[in-house]
Amino acid sequence: MTPLERAEARFGWKLVAPTIAILGLLILYPLMYNVYLSFFDVQLNGSKTFVGIENYIKLLSNSDYYSAIATTSLYLLGTVVGTTLLGLAMALLLRDPFMGRGLVNAAIMLPYVAPVISVVFGWQFLFDPISGVVNYLFVDLLGLWSERSNLIGDPDSALWVVVLFDIWKHAPIAYLLILSKLVSISRDQYEAAAIDGYGPIGRFFHVTLPELYFVLATVVLLRLIWNLNRFEDVYLLAPNVETLPIFTYYQAFTGVIDQGLAAATSVIQLGVLSIFIWFYIKKIMKW
Amino acid sequence: MAAIKLKNIVKSFGDTAVVKGIDLSIEDGEFVVLVGPSGCGKSTTLRMIAGLEQATSGDIVIGERVVNDIEPQHRNIAMVFQNYALYPHKSVRENIIFALRRLKVDNADIERRLAEVSEMLQLEELLDRKPADLSGGQRQRVAMGRAIIREADLFLFDEPLSNLDSKLRSHMRTEIGKIHNKFGRTSVYVTHDQVEAMTLADKVVVLHDGYIAQAGTPMEVYLNPANVFVAQFIGSPSMNIIEGTLFNDYLLVDNYRLPRKQLSNVALQTVIDQQGIPVKVGIRPDFFNDSRLFPETDNTFNFTGLQIDLIEPMGFDKEVLFNLAGEAVKARLDLRSELQRDQQIDLVVELSRVLLFDSETDQRL
Amino acid sequence: MLGKKNIKGRIGFAIAILLLVSFSLLPFAQILSTSLKHQYDWGNPSLIPQSINLDAYKELLGLTEAEKVEIPAAIQKILNNPKLSAEKKQAIAAKYTANDNLFPFGKYMLNSVIFSVGAASFSLVFSVMGAYSISRLRFKGQVVIQRSVLFVYMVGGVLLMVPLYQMAMNVGLASSLWGSAFCLFLIYIVQTLPVGMYMLGNYFRGIPFALEEAAMMDGCSRKEAIIKVVLPLSLPMLATVFIYCFIIGWNEYLFASVFLKQYPEFHTLPLALQELFVSKNAIWDRIMAASMLTLAPIVICFLLASRFMKGGKTDGGVKE
Ligand SMILES: Nc1ncnc2c1ncn2[C@@H]1O[C@H](COP(=O)(O)OP(=O)(O)O)[C@@H](O)[C@H]1O
Ligand SMILES: [Mg+2]
Repeated sequence: MTPLERAEARFGWKLVAPTIAILGLLILYPLMYNVYLSFFDVQLNGSKTFVGIENYIKLLSNSDYYSAIATTSLYLLGTVVGTTLLGLAMALLLRDPFMGRGLVNAAIMLPYVAPVISVVFGWQFLFDPISGVVNYLFVDLLGLWSERSNLIGDPDSALWVVVLFDIWKHAPIAYLLILSKLVSISRDQYEAAAIDGYGPIGRFFHVTLPELYFVLATVVLLRLIWNLNRFEDVYLLAPNVETLPIFTYYQAFTGVIDQGLAAATSVIQLGVLSIFIWFYIKKIMKW
Repeated sequence: MAAIKLKNIVKSFGDTAVVKGIDLSIEDGEFVVLVGPSGCGKSTTLRMIAGLEQATSGDIVIGERVVNDIEPQHRNIAMVFQNYALYPHKSVRENIIFALRRLKVDNADIERRLAEVSEMLQLEELLDRKPADLSGGQRQRVAMGRAIIREADLFLFDEPLSNLDSKLRSHMRTEIGKIHNKFGRTSVYVTHDQVEAMTLADKVVVLHDGYIAQAGTPMEVYLNPANVFVAQFIGSPSMNIIEGTLFNDYLLVDNYRLPRKQLSNVALQTVIDQQGIPVKVGIRPDFFNDSRLFPETDNTFNFTGLQIDLIEPMGFDKEVLFNLAGEAVKARLDLRSELQRDQQIDLVVELSRVLLFDSETDQRL
Repeated sequence: MLGKKNIKGRIGFAIAILLLVSFSLLPFAQILSTSLKHQYDWGNPSLIPQSINLDAYKELLGLTEAEKVEIPAAIQKILNNPKLSAEKKQAIAAKYTANDNLFPFGKYMLNSVIFSVGAASFSLVFSVMGAYSISRLRFKGQVVIQRSVLFVYMVGGVLLMVPLYQMAMNVGLASSLWGSAFCLFLIYIVQTLPVGMYMLGNYFRGIPFALEEAAMMDGCSRKEAIIKVVLPLSLPMLATVFIYCFIIGWNEYLFASVFLKQYPEFHTLPLALQELFVSKNAIWDRIMAASMLTLAPIVICFLLASRFMKGGKTDGGVKE
């Protein structure tokens, strides 16, 4: 290395040093520390006693843990499928310019940028058994349900409210990703397919979908990655829906506090997350 | 102003050597053109002179200083980039005087130099515009202005005209020539276009695959190419290379026998045995002449009875293709020769223009 | 070109758009509507209030006169007792005039602003430096850093809450008010830094190297080239990144609840709103008005940022 190259490298390290320090100290170190903690019985005040793999044994024999896994799986399935499909539909609908597209765009992006805390209460009101519009619509107006029910109060139905909420909030980002690919598909391809005798549906399956394959995979993977760790959206809207993050939060900070157990949960979850991220980096980023 | 010396410069990116040992000295005030096909290491060489790239080994001397470890901003060099690299957020005026502002040149002086440069490059009208509002040719002139307003020791150009259409390109080429004549600054100019090289250079340096294939005046590299690569790269249309065999008394091409004595500077003095030695014979299309217009003399050779395969009229010139020793060979004749396809023709060549190259090493014999 | 030319197609298209926009906006409309309704009107499914009620907003923004609470005569007598120190008198008076219905919205908003603007500023500075380094400079280890940033970018806060809390506990920060606030501040920086690095890194990579090289030819050092050329060119992106970081901080609930729950005077808006919701003072119009006011700065930021949003953020999804 020449002195100038060395100077450049030194400058590079200097600039990135604060970031490395911060991320190392407050993300990478904690991730490892978490593994360490998972072998201890940890109190809220910080006192620890070594218990070996007891936390993991406790966790794996806890039926609540399995039900949290089931809930999380349903949540992931519902949100991933819903978000991707809605995002795709939105992108197809809004691909060609029309009058007022800018406004429509702004309107559909709004759920994505709105703070969770500022919209959950609106959602709760919508599903309120007494005053809510949803009950009014399905019971009084359409007569589909025989009686008003508290959809958020019941964990089983609350899960689907939470799924719907997530779709509402994150379909816009899927839409943006898909749209940016969609508009890059050249018109020639559609015209060629049209000349070959394909109608709109044929064109969708033979031109659009193959082109979108990659970006759809991206969307699915990103949804999985983000939603596996999703906390606020679920907890604030329906704290009775116990997905893994909420299960962990309850273990760590409420009721019978068991932070060691929470750490063990996080370790397992990190393992799963790492697989998703690895996939993302390998297949999508192609590193 | 300054002379420059490159001493055995080598540059590798990782394991791949891109510049493989270049020695070159450039005199004060000289206009040197580095020319070669794309990917041969021209830009890399130029960027090492600028300090934007560090040589893996070797020394670069500008004036009296070895600049290897001097940062680009302290080398006092001005450069025109291929894509102009104008600062998009600054107006034309600010782009041009950016360096002077930094040097804390006083305002009156800045204004004077700005006026001079913008007049020379016809930029007066454009000074308050942003680069985005300029055409390609205008941007190119701004980039030139930004370089020449400085009193730099050395001017570097990296394919400054390659993004212009051909008319504008030849106009700007002339302008660059004029500017150089006016200021006489040491300049290194990179291009893949041999016309630019021929027209602008005091010295042409032909690069090939990281080496200097030949360095010399434009006429030297045109008339006396050191090897097949230079012979074919310089000149358009490019030189015909034909297989031939050299015997003691003559050069055999197809079934023509060219007297060896009069062939151009054949350094090869050995006595050749019975089978002869295979050589590559180079003849520029321009050096073929119609025998009806140029009578044969002692110093010329007449290729008789050539069968014309194709004629490509170009206006004043026409390019005529025929077959010689199994190669498609081209001759450039002017409009006086009236020809038809499939017709036979006699072409004369001055024997001193017939060049011989080693058939293995491609070097001149 | 192809498709949706006829009337049927157009009507179908219009209906689809209408449904989509209604789905997106309904919750917002509901929030706005309820925040403006009187209590008797809540059960009415119509979104248009029968009469507008601005009390909730006035109260939250501190525009109402503090209700004069009559101090009982007996107490008044005690207060008039000259032997009592002024301090004690005030304490007693405060006890009787205290209006614990009050939701100090302004204070929470200020807390939120301080945390999110502060963290976003630090984040922006560090991520400009870091992103420049990993995207433009050549040194060994660069690739490893790049990948690590992408990795930590995707690690959610939930996985870190226990170890971070324990670390704060171990160094004794979690047990004091300022310590907790400091921790939260650091955590917000950490949560936003990878996003900033990621967005800016991609952006910097798109700025032609030749611009900086031109600046160096013009006599600038690397630092000057960054300051005079790269940063001015990146202004829109810097603003976008700042706004994104700001939004992340503004929206954050998890760590605020972990570190600040027991310090009400430092509550941020999400925490305060959640506390309000579960408290006895939960009144729909007040909650909805508070929601609207929490939403407003974000909507404004969004409108500002949306002009720049086209690039960068669509290519990998932004931290959510
Ligand atoms: N930064 C770099 N890293 C790796 N290879 C490079 C780099 N810059 C140039 N090269 C390679 O070096 C060779 C010469 O490049 P260059 O000097 O730009 O050629 P040119 O003669 O066309 O200007 C090319 O094959 C190019 O791919
Ligand atoms: Mg080049």
